[in-house]
Amino acid sequence: MNIFNISKAHKKPLHAHVEQNLLNLSLLNTDIYWSNISTASCVSDYVITLTPTSLDCADGCCSGGEVSGSLARNCDSPRSRMALTQVSSNKCAGGFQKVFEHESVELKCKMKFAVYLPPKAETDKCPVLYWLSGLTCTEQNFITKAGSQLPAAEHGLIIVAPDTSPRGCGIEGEDESWDFGTGAGFYVDATQEPWKTNYRMYSYVTEELPKLINANFPTVPDRISISGHSMGGHGALICALKNPGRYKAVSAFVPICNPVQCPWGQKAFGGYLGSDRSTWEAYDATVLAAAYSGPQLDILIDQGRDDQFLSASQLLPDNLIAVCSEKKIPVVFRLQPGYDHSYFFIYSFMSDHIKHHAKYLNA
Amino acid sequence: MEANRGGRTFQRFSVNTNESLHFEPCEDTSSSPTGIEHDEDNVFMKEENESEMTSIRNRLQGKVAEMENFAGHLEEIFLTVEENFGRQEQHLEQHYNDVLQTLSQRHSERAAGLLEEKKSKMEALYSQLLSCGQALDASKELIETAQEIYRTPDKRVFLKTVIPIIKRIEMFAKEKVELTLSTKLEFETPPADLSDVKTMMDSINAVPAPSAPVINPQMSNSATQTSLRVCWSLFSDDTVEYYDLYYRPVLEDTPADGFCEPHVSTVKVKETHCTVTDLLPNAQYELWVTATNTTGISPASEKALYMTVPSPPVIKQRECTSCPDAALIRWESGNTNPVDSYTVELSEMDTDGTQSTVTESIVAVPTCQCLIQLLSGRRYLISVRAVNVGGPSDKSDPVYISTSGTFFYFLEETAHPCLAISEDGFTIFYGDEELPISAIALDDSAFTRCVAILGDLIPVRARHYWEVEVDEGTEFRIGVAYEDTERNSYLGVNASSWCMRHILSSSRHKYEFLHNGWSPDLRITVHPVRIGVALDYDRGTLSFFNVNLEQHLHTFQCHFRNYVQPCFSLDNPGSLTVHNAIEAPEYTFI
Repeated sequence: MNIFNISKAHKKPLHAHVEQNLLNLSLLNTDIYWSNISTASCVSDYVITLTPTSLDCADGCCSGGEVSGSLARNCDSPRSRMALTQVSSNKCAGGFQKVFEHESVELKCKMKFAVYLPPKAETDKCPVLYWLSGLTCTEQNFITKAGSQLPAAEHGLIIVAPDTSPRGCGIEGEDESWDFGTGAGFYVDATQEPWKTNYRMYSYVTEELPKLINANFPTVPDRISISGHSMGGHGALICALKNPGRYKAVSAFVPICNPVQCPWGQKAFGGYLGSDRSTWEAYDATVLAAAYSGPQLDILIDQGRDDQFLSASQLLPDNLIAVCSEKKIPVVFRLQPGYDHSYFFIYSFMSDHIKHHAKYLNA
Repeated sequence: MEANRGGRTFQRFSVNTNESLHFEPCEDTSSSPTGIEHDEDNVFMKEENESEMTSIRNRLQGKVAEMENFAGHLEEIFLTVEENFGRQEQHLEQHYNDVLQTLSQRHSERAAGLLEEKKSKMEALYSQLLSCGQALDASKELIETAQEIYRTPDKRVFLKTVIPIIKRIEMFAKEKVELTLSTKLEFETPPADLSDVKTMMDSINAVPAPSAPVINPQMSNSATQTSLRVCWSLFSDDTVEYYDLYYRPVLEDTPADGFCEPHVSTVKVKETHCTVTDLLPNAQYELWVTATNTTGISPASEKALYMTVPSPPVIKQRECTSCPDAALIRWESGNTNPVDSYTVELSEMDTDGTQSTVTESIVAVPTCQCLIQLLSGRRYLISVRAVNVGGPSDKSDPVYISTSGTFFYFLEETAHPCLAISEDGFTIFYGDEELPISAIALDDSAFTRCVAILGDLIPVRARHYWEVEVDEGTEFRIGVAYEDTERNSYLGVNASSWCMRHILSSSRHKYEFLHNGWSPDLRITVHPVRIGVALDYDRGTLSFFNVNLEQHLHTFQCHFRNYVQPCFSLDNPGSLTVHNAIEAPEYTFI
């Protein structure tokens, strides 16, 4: 095994060292990954010296055995910066609840996301559960209210919780409604102006974010699952249905099951995707389920019976259930008496969901 | 080679007394074994001589050994003769002493008798003498009186007194004087009765009848189901020709008529032991023995009680249950009368099916069941023996136990009369047919309304897992219930049962998870046809899974205060099959 000397070459030497034992190296064919979990901030560039063999890079960004900058998966991919800035870190349930910020390529703005690292992550690679939050939420709601850290620590899962939309893009009307624009990305790639440049939450969640996470944290890249609440529930369902076999498990709390049929969905899709309803169907869980063909899913959905949005026909779970029964897509749908739409409901059943995910992620 | 014994010298060997003392002189002594061959080239000759020498030496050694052996034997015989002599001498002395004693006793008796006789004769004579003397005195006195009266001068007085005197004299004269002796002078000599002395003298030469033998108590492991090995001994030097062994069974109750004694059987043997056969198992017998020789039969020995070994128990295959950590074995005694205890024997079976040579035994099991701790993932062969005073019975037919997964049969006595159970014991059927009157449950433990049945789960507070296979259209309830759950109630409706219920209404599947009449509201989109049931006593959970999809359906959280039994019911005609002895999949106990 080759030993890689990693030293930081910087015009201004930084007072912080990259601690050797916090660097995780794995060699996968010609890809090199590393991660930096040190508390030192602002590590942006690495210089990797390889001995005895030197590494040749097709795009000429390296020479003579020296590679500067971070390596992308493929040498010909855009030289994206996988740089993260840690915003906060709190010890929680034996592990660490952290929040990072980065410059998103898809969303073209600074984005924050929360990462929970369980105790197991100190020594081993862990699977990842992606949590998509609902309308008006940021990355904070989930990590402070959902009670996810204890079960995540118990089952050894990393939980990543991104924000719900791009922020501070200066788009006109983005802050007008609580159910459209800021805090209401609906996990689609918008095709309509003025949203299409920034509002690409679908690609962010399914492409950019996983790459970023895998590059910076001790993950098992092919063991991921997805879950969410309300609009995030809708996001989790469509990500799973549109990417057969990619997510090992999926679950949702009070999801918007059939957005093309409900006021929320119609408003959002109309704004992001335009008036052609056929383009909406690509982001509707009920429609996607009817056409699904792929590896078997196992969907767990919890719904509070006293949820005002259920009675307001925003959620429409019966439609999804009917289609899944028809198409033999395994779903266990639980109607919980007395519970509403809030994080109190999420908190009450979070361990059931984490157990559900762990069953597949740890198998 | 002489020996000194008690001051007398005996020669051990007498040249002409025994043939075997002669031994052939060694052959080839003429050839010189020590002759040194100068011819060094003649290697073969040298070797030949050496081997001859060796063989001769060996033969000599053999002879010496034989002689020594013989000498030993002779010495033994010598000692025995000495002992026998001593015994006989003692015996004789005693006998004659007895005879002498008897004779002197007789003598003193006779002498005393004679003395008595003499005394009585003397007394008789003496008294006769006395009476004679008295008579003499009386007549003397009379004569004197008469003379005196004759000499009376006064005639008148004389006339008055003379007549009575005359009368007296006349009377006296008439009296006959007894002059014969009252006793004979000779002494009688009745013939002496010395017959018993004669017998004693005769018996000196005869062998005495033997004394009572001593019967040994039963030795452990000497009895079988139908035979007993009895031993006894004779603690005296009696000669015995043969023994008679008597035995009869000891009956538990005295028969009503009081006359029927059990038949006494007898065996004649020459040895001091005997194996009595053709007996009943687990039965007590009374045995005693007498010894007989030419003189007569000894008194009977004390009666000994022996017991035959019990018959082997019969393991009730359909009532044995197991789980990864333990097995519960139940059996029938196999004996009409009670036994003392049971021994359970188990040995592990290797992966290739051969039985391990190591057998573990659990002894002193008081009842007809035993809960045994085992290791998971192994296969065992378990059998039972019944034990009484006589020892252990043969092994029962074994039962195979596999400790991968939990294994159980149905509790057939709990089945609703409409339920039929398959022959292999794992499928229940609820038929369309009308219930015949004769099939109405008389058993207290059978379900009467819900067409249900319980399983016989091993009472171990661990994790248990089993699977239930159903048809698309079967309406069922499956879960667990306390053993004493109400038999006239439906599963899940009361607080003593928890179950998953499937209802089919116009081809729409509905599911309930019932306990105490309450169920959460669930929709399940894919109908499970194979349901995994996972019970965890410690965590207090009962979970249900769609096995084919590895999908979790629901979990009850409940603290089980007692042991629970798996329960199954069919709400419409159909069937369901239980699959167990399955190792719980990993996801069932996360």
